[in-house]
Amino acid sequence: MSELLTFDLAVRKPGFKLEAAAEVPLSGITALSGPSGSGKTTLLRALAGLEPSATGRINFAGENWSRMRPARRGVGYVFQDAKLFPHLNVAQNLAYGAIRRQASEELVEAVVRALDLRPLLARSPETLSGGETRRVALGRALASAPRILLMDEPLTGLDRARKLDLMPYIAHAVADFGVPAIYVTHSAAEISFLADRTLFIEDGQLTNWSGAAPRVVGRVVNAAPGQVNLEVGRFTVWVNGQGNVGELWAVPLGQDYLLSTQDPGHSTAALTLPGVVADADPGSGLCQMDIEGQRLALAWPRVDGRVPERGTPVWLSLPRLSARPIQAEDGPESR
Amino acid sequence: MSFSGPILLTLQLAGVTMVLLLLIGMPIAWWLAHTKSRLRPIVEAVTALPLVLPPTVLGFYLLILMSPNTPIGAFWVRLTGEQLTFSFSGLVVASLFYSLPFAVQPMQAAFQGVGRGMMEAAATLGASRWDQFRSVVLPLSRRGILAAAVLSFAHTVGEFGVVLMVGGNIPDRTRVISIEIYSAVETLDYQTAHILSGGLLVFSFVVLVLVYLLNQRGLRAGV
Repeated sequence: MSELLTFDLAVRKPGFKLEAAAEVPLSGITALSGPSGSGKTTLLRALAGLEPSATGRINFAGENWSRMRPARRGVGYVFQDAKLFPHLNVAQNLAYGAIRRQASEELVEAVVRALDLRPLLARSPETLSGGETRRVALGRALASAPRILLMDEPLTGLDRARKLDLMPYIAHAVADFGVPAIYVTHSAAEISFLADRTLFIEDGQLTNWSGAAPRVVGRVVNAAPGQVNLEVGRFTVWVNGQGNVGELWAVPLGQDYLLSTQDPGHSTAALTLPGVVADADPGSGLCQMDIEGQRLALAWPRVDGRVPERGTPVWLSLPRLSARPIQAEDGPESR
Repeated sequence: MSFSGPILLTLQLAGVTMVLLLLIGMPIAWWLAHTKSRLRPIVEAVTALPLVLPPTVLGFYLLILMSPNTPIGAFWVRLTGEQLTFSFSGLVVASLFYSLPFAVQPMQAAFQGVGRGMMEAAATLGASRWDQFRSVVLPLSRRGILAAAVLSFAHTVGEFGVVLMVGGNIPDRTRVISIEIYSAVETLDYQTAHILSGGLLVFSFVVLVLVYLLNQRGLRAGV
C-alpha cells in the first residue's frame, strides 16, 4: 500500500473558484485531466505552494504541507513553458536544485544519463529545441531529488513525433527514480500511455477517478539498445524503449485493439494474446477476461448485441505496440 | 588653472550618490515592480517627481528642510557638528532626491521583466526568497541595474540647480563642475567654461551610447 497525498483545498480568484479534495496514491503517475480553464494548473500550483490565495490543508505522507513554503516541500515542478534559467547553461540549471537540496552527484549523473542530456550540458537554454528544453526541465526537477514530481502539461506545444519521443523519458523518470508524479494533461494519448490512474476536474471541482487505461504488463527478459524483449505470459515481443532485464513494462491497449472469439492465426497484428472470458455482463457489454494470467476488463464490441459467455476462448490483438516501464507496485495484482 | 578640485568633488559626489541610490532604490523598485497596493501610484509619482519639477523648486524645499532650524537639520548638527546645508553631505542628500527616478525606474522595469515565474521555478528547486533574488533576479536584472548605476551617476554629474540652491558655491566643498562652469562664464573665463563643458558633453554622450547599447543587448537577449 503506497503512501498518500491528501488535500482539501480552495482557491478563489476573480471569476473562478476551485474546491478540490482527494487522496492520491504516492506511486506511479496520476494524470490530472480536464478541459481548459477547469483548474488543473491552479490545483497543481496550490499543491506546490505557489498559489498565495489557496486555503485548506495538504498532507504529504503524514507531513503537513498546509503552511509550508514552496522551497521546503521538496516538489519537482515541471512548468508548461519549462522556465529554465536563461543566465545559466544546462549543467548549471541541473545543478541549481541539486545543490540546494543536497542531491548526490550520482543522482545528477543518473538523470543526465536517463534523459540523454550529456550533449546539452554546455549549451545555453536559448539554443535548445522545444523537445530538448522539456527534457532539461524534467531533468532539472529530477536532479533536485524531489519527493513528488508535479508536471504541468510538459509536452504542450510539441508536435506528435516529439511527444512520442518524450513520453518514454517521462515514464522512465517516474519508474527508474521511484518518484510519484501528478501529470496535468488533456491529451487522451498521454493519459493512455503514461497514467496509472486519472483524476478528472471540471469547473474547479474534482469529478471522478479512473484507473489506468487498459494494458497488459510484461517483464523485460532481454534488452538491446533502443529495444526491450517483453515476456507476456508464454509470449515474448520486442518493443521500442531503453530498459533493463527484470523490469516491469506496461503495454497500453490504446483505442484500436481487437477482440475476437476466433483465432486470428497469422494476422498482421504486432501481438496477439489468447485468453478466456472469466465473467461477462450482457447489460453493459463489459467482459472480464483472463489473458495470459492477467485480468482485463474490456468492453466487448457490440456488433450483434451479444457478449461471449463465461469460459469462451478469446483473442486480443494489438495492431501497434508501445510500452513504458512501470513501478513494481503498479503491476497487476496477479503478480 | 586647475580643474582637479571641481572634477574630483563631482566624481566623489556622483560615486557616493550612485552607491547609495542603488541601495535605497533597489527595495523601492522591487516594491513598485510587485506591489498591488493602492499606494503604488502615489509612491511612483513621488519617485518620478524630480523628472518634472524644476531643480530650483526641489532645491528650495530641500534647503528649507535641511536648514538647522528644522528638526532634520538640527538633528544633523547634533550628530555631526556641522550643518547639512552648504556641505558635501547636504549635496549628497539633495542628489539622492534629484537622481532617484534615474535609479528606480530602470531597476523597476528590469524586475518586472524577470517576472514571478522564474522566482517560482527557483522556489520549487529549494531556493529561499533571498536566494531567489540573489541567484535569479539579480543576474537577470543586471542590465537594468547597470543602467540605473550609469544614469544616476551621470545625472548627478550634470546637476546644477539643486546643487546651487542647497550647496551654494564653496570651493572644494560644494563647487562641482556645473557650478564651476557657471562661475567661469560669469567671470568671462570662456576657456575654462569650454574645457569643462566640452568634457561634460563628451562624457554625457558616451554614457548615453553605453546605456542604449545595454538596452539593445538586453532586448536581443530577451532579458
